Amino acid sequence: MSLLIKDESIEKLIREDGKRLDGRDLLELRPIKMEVGVIPNANGSAKIEWGGNKIFAAVYGPREVHPRHDARPDRGILRTFYRMATFSVMERKRPAPSRREKEISMVIKNAIEPVLFLELYPDSAIEVFLEVISADGGSRCACTTVAALALADAGIPMRSLITSVAVGKANGKIILDCSGEEDKSGEADLPCAITWYNNQISLLQFDGIMNIEEFDESLDIIKESLEKIHQMQKEALKKKYLDIRNNIKSNKTKTISPNKIEEKIESDNLENQNGGERQ
Amino acid sequence: MITIDQKKEGESIVEVEDIDEIDIDQMKDKELVVPGEILSEDLTNFNPGRGTTKQGNKIISLFVGLKVIRKNYINVIPLRGIYTPTEGDKVIGIVIDKNPVKWKLDINARYFGILKPSNTVMRAQRFKRGRPEREEKSTYKFNVGDVLIVKIMQADRLHHPELTVQGKYLGRRNSGKLIEIPPPKIPRVIGRKGSMINLLKNMTKCNIFVTQNGRIWIQGEDFEHETLLIDTIHKIEAEAHTSGLTDRIKEFIINEKTKRGIN
Repeated sequence: MSLLIKDESIEKLIREDGKRLDGRDLLELRPIKMEVGVIPNANGSAKIEWGGNKIFAAVYGPREVHPRHDARPDRGILRTFYRMATFSVMERKRPAPSRREKEISMVIKNAIEPVLFLELYPDSAIEVFLEVISADGGSRCACTTVAALALADAGIPMRSLITSVAVGKANGKIILDCSGEEDKSGEADLPCAITWYNNQISLLQFDGIMNIEEFDESLDIIKESLEKIHQMQKEALKKKYLDIRNNIKSNKTKTISPNKIEEKIESDNLENQNGGERQ
Repeated sequence: MITIDQKKEGESIVEVEDIDEIDIDQMKDKELVVPGEILSEDLTNFNPGRGTTKQGNKIISLFVGLKVIRKNYINVIPLRGIYTPTEGDKVIGIVIDKNPVKWKLDINARYFGILKPSNTVMRAQRFKRGRPEREEKSTYKFNVGDVLIVKIMQADRLHHPELTVQGKYLGRRNSGKLIEIPPPKIPRVIGRKGSMINLLKNMTKCNIFVTQNGRIWIQGEDFEHETLLIDTIHKIEAEAHTSGLTDRIKEFIINEKTKRGIN
């Protein structure tokens, strides 16, 4: 029995009350959750949950290049592997790397390269693996954002972080952060990434129809929302270490001097026994 | 009969070097920074130090790390990263490959290290009826999987580092345990002027050899002491970015000893 899911484009993407189909305002982001240091075996790793997207990023290296003829004697190379899990989309995705995946890998690689000091690592490679566990529109933007986090976590020197978001057009109105449905049936899609050390655009793709005024307006919207996401990135990177610090501070009041440990254990045992009797 | 000069038993092998002059313990918790974060816009009074760069008229951070100001230099101490081989460093390597002219060693860096037989020549004395007869030169023979403490003779960005086992404390380790932590956290395990490592050594009665590539070789009296030391080192690793670490570690060891019932 086949699943009866209609793959038709929806005509009306904005409801009568002016909100989108998922209840968001026109210029509202989906909920974003970031975490750093999730894969212990990798040099650096990060996870992002962005609306319906769920992506893991792992960074290995700098390490030796195989095959050796890919190595460059004057600089290191960056390799990015964007892969979608077979279960990440409604219809099973065939596991072989598709044309789309290769293109997105290349696009992300080119977007990230300017923030790295690749000339410091001649003859070696930095490898970024992006595994899309669940995809729901805007996965290349989420991947660029999470790749920057993983690279920073790996301790690779970076000029700055890099953040990305997409703007679209649906029913003649500009919408921020398109979901899967809006991507498919919308009128335009404009993913964009910014490197923060020079505030310049590092990734810009466009697909659809927009006039110049709408395009300019979109870029303004993008810049505004990227600042919010950049703040989240910074917080995610710091959270890993600040949590440990705060734990220590909160535990400080509870520490017992070593001489009193035995007394404490005895009194605890007595309390437990008494508690048991009462019950 | 060939005898190899071996170290006396019980000799403490503690490598104390002032690798990281910047001390984190002295003051309160340092500010955490992330790549691209502006550290200062005052270029007349401050210079960009380690882990930072100048971007226009700003000093920005390159790493996730701790911001430390020393004199008029702003530095960022990274919290994770890869080991870069430097001449003169003693590192722990694991033999991964051998052929008639060289051994290849995994030294936890970008490249594997190369150990040539000419750098393993040792002096030995040939004995006859218990008396030294004559001196003889020969080379060590290592196998894949051996753990060696080696010194880096030569290293640059383009070539595989060349290693040697001639020198004090160098050579194969036949016993003990090997643990790994991120290389930037090694200075915290050593502490200021070796305070932390001496504390660990005295309180757990273990021999410790800490190397720059993030590997630590330990050998203790018994299993319990070794386990306690490993747990302690992992605690240092997790809390490397906090202040007052030495005191906390001392307290931790005393508490753990009471809990585990070891002296």
